[in-house]
Amino acid sequence: MANWLSAHTSAITIWCGAISTFAIYSVLYAENKFYRFFEHVFIGLASGYGMYVTWNEVVYPKWWKLMVNDGQWYWVFAAVLGSMFYFMYSRKHAWVSRVIFGLFMGLGAGGAFREFYQIYFPQIGASMKPITGGGMTVWDTLNIVVFYVILFASMSYFFFSFDHKSSAIKHTAMAGRWFLMIGFGAMFGATVMGRMTLFIGRFNFLVNDWAPQARSDWSSGIFRALVSLFALVLIVMIVRAVRRPKAKHE
Amino acid sequence: MNIFAKLQNIDRRILYLLVALVIIIPLVRRPAKHPHTIFKEVQNAYNTVQAVPNDKLVILSSYFDAGTVAENGPQIEVMMRHLFRKGTKFAVITWDPVGAELVSKIGKKISKQMGKKYGRDWVDLGYNPGPVYVIISGMAKDFQSVIKQDKYGTKLADIPATKNIKSAKQIGAVVETTASGTVPTWIAYFNMPNNIPLVYCPTAVMAAEAYPYLDSGQLKGMLNGVIGAAQYETLLGMGDKPTYSSAASWALSTAHIFIIVLLIIGNIGYFAANRAGRGGRRNG
Repeated sequence: MANWLSAHTSAITIWCGAISTFAIYSVLYAENKFYRFFEHVFIGLASGYGMYVTWNEVVYPKWWKLMVNDGQWYWVFAAVLGSMFYFMYSRKHAWVSRVIFGLFMGLGAGGAFREFYQIYFPQIGASMKPITGGGMTVWDTLNIVVFYVILFASMSYFFFSFDHKSSAIKHTAMAGRWFLMIGFGAMFGATVMGRMTLFIGRFNFLVNDWAPQARSDWSSGIFRALVSLFALVLIVMIVRAVRRPKAKHE
Repeated sequence: MNIFAKLQNIDRRILYLLVALVIIIPLVRRPAKHPHTIFKEVQNAYNTVQAVPNDKLVILSSYFDAGTVAENGPQIEVMMRHLFRKGTKFAVITWDPVGAELVSKIGKKISKQMGKKYGRDWVDLGYNPGPVYVIISGMAKDFQSVIKQDKYGTKLADIPATKNIKSAKQIGAVVETTASGTVPTWIAYFNMPNNIPLVYCPTAVMAAEAYPYLDSGQLKGMLNGVIGAAQYETLLGMGDKPTYSSAASWALSTAHIFIIVLLIIGNIGYFAANRAGRGGRRNG
């Protein structure tokens, strides 16, 4: 059995991947138990695998091994600090967890401050562009003028401190709103592209990995019997699902 | 139900099937033709990586898992190809446990194809749980005290590719391949303070938000989803090779055209139905 498994690891992996892909995409037709089952399998696998990798590549070599095998006993304090988080489940001793949460919040706040000036200050500086000079062409100048118009129009939309009664502010803010909508449209276009790529990735797997594997496996009689059995079960499930009366909403 | 009403009520399952058919054709045919148009940000990414001196190490940071491997996988693959080809050593660091295994597999595949050796030409630093900003700011100051060993437990001091890496001074560039918002952390804690170029490889969803960073020079280049990877392959002279990226680019283009056609049909149906409704009321 072990020999058979090691000889067919690649085929088994491809088949598991294909069945999982079909199961997950079956939700596009309708919500079903096949999809739900595989959704739970995925979540369980990802969590289990995450725990395995965390122990194997992080906790064991970077903490347990140092503490137990290499005699660096002071790593035990990391466990003390880490376990402080779990006091949040005790009403009486929740203050212990607040100490460690406070420490991390302070660390995060300090980090956010540093990130803010490292991220936004250069961008503010880069927004102040010269319109002419330095070998700039007419198109470069036009490009920067368009940039300024869109920048000021978009910013004026966010002037909430006073009413947009003045005609100049009102129309500029309206233009800013349009520019923002165009920006969001471009982002949504990119979102469609991204989602489609993920779909393409799975299709690529089915077409270029699974289909050749299935073609070569089809020559085996046992395989054909297994596929026929699986198809029969699937047909019975679909027929039962179609015949089942729909629940009435009272 | 007239034709206009029907156009607005096409069963979504029929649309899914049509999208699947539109996508499947380029994937089956695997056209070798890559995009001729190269975005400025992709060209800049190529120039940045090309300019890294061979005595410096490039960090390939990856923060993605199986969910976005269709986009991020080709990006990191093409970066590895470029670095192997120009003979620049690189270290892969991953921030996701599942992604760590995927990236490791990609590294092994490409190094085998290109006849490169683990340890001499590249190093896998494995999965790191973070927090990212703590690890990378520490790496900038004292690399080997923060990252002591590779994925397989070998000390970095014993690996030829990393034995001389002490701090950010020996790092030539960082390439961040991600499906998560980690790029500000690299900018703030590693690249800006140490003046190290950063190349960004996000999923297409995140690419639009990166343009202010490109404009300000905080990012030196970007590969926009799988299209960026396909364009990068063109720059590497793989324009006539039938790769996944080129097939995916064709599939994306056909799918986008199809979606635009559907939008036009839906809108024609909407306006025509509205017009017919108004006409009906007016007549009645």
